[in-house]
Amino acid sequence: MTRRLTAAIAMLAFATPAFAHHGWSGQEGKVTEMTGTVVQGVSLAGPHGTMKVKVKNQVWDITLAPPYRTSQAGLTEGRIPVGATVTVRGNPSLQAGRHEMKTIFVKHGGAEYHVYPERE
Amino acid sequence: MEIAPFLAWLEASGIGQLMRASGVWTYGLVNLAHILGIAMLFGPIFLLDLRLLGVWSSVPLAALSRPCVTLAATGFVLAVASGVPMLAVKATEYAGNPFLLLKFPAIALALVNVALVHRSAAWRAHRHRALTRRERLRLAGGAALSLVFWLAAITGGRMIGYW
Repeated sequence: MTRRLTAAIAMLAFATPAFAHHGWSGQEGKVTEMTGTVVQGVSLAGPHGTMKVKVKNQVWDITLAPPYRTSQAGLTEGRIPVGATVTVRGNPSLQAGRHEMKTIFVKHGGAEYHVYPERE
Repeated sequence: MEIAPFLAWLEASGIGQLMRASGVWTYGLVNLAHILGIAMLFGPIFLLDLRLLGVWSSVPLAALSRPCVTLAATGFVLAVASGVPMLAVKATEYAGNPFLLLKFPAIALALVNVALVHRSAAWRAHRHRALTRRERLRLAGGAALSLVFWLAAITGGRMIGYW
């Protein structure tokens, strides 16, 4: 009884569906580049760095690398002012109607921030 | 019930401000404390509930219940103490998150169940005598509900980040 129960529990634990993660599986495979205006500057609070960029009247949630990696790439809070024009490159969310992009690279003027260099 | 104003208040609170201003590792470390809290909470609960459901019935219940309850209560305090700051970081972003609406009601139900079990005559009796079949059934029912509620809470919590 006990052994069978343990086996059942173990199976249940490993049977969780592999759907969209914090990872990249919920994103388009294709890399998209877009240029827009920063409406909310970089925040390094939470599991990932974030910012908001308006592209043609649509505000995009820009998801950056985790805070430490984003800051190591030079992209710290306050580095890019609100209203600045930036170019971002990354993989948009697969979810319909959701304007979120996991971002590999941010360009602001002459400055380039490669937050996920291994994905370029 | 409106949760959006509460989330806005939490985000603007001192805890939220402190969390956002305290360095790139803070969230990760608080998250670590949360996971340890959940482990300390659910591990003993799982063990005790299985015992109440009839598994390992040769192990004396009274010997198991005290350490399990103490550890689980400690884990719960740690999970709350780390969970509130994590929510406060960007609380308003969770306003439409359905998993939040699974997690918190599940925790509330789990706590009501804990209170009911602990107040039951069967639970009080288990410390100093063997239980009757009826009492064992009462506690088994509480254990089954406990597993459902805590697993729902953990599932909701884990899935919040994937919405």
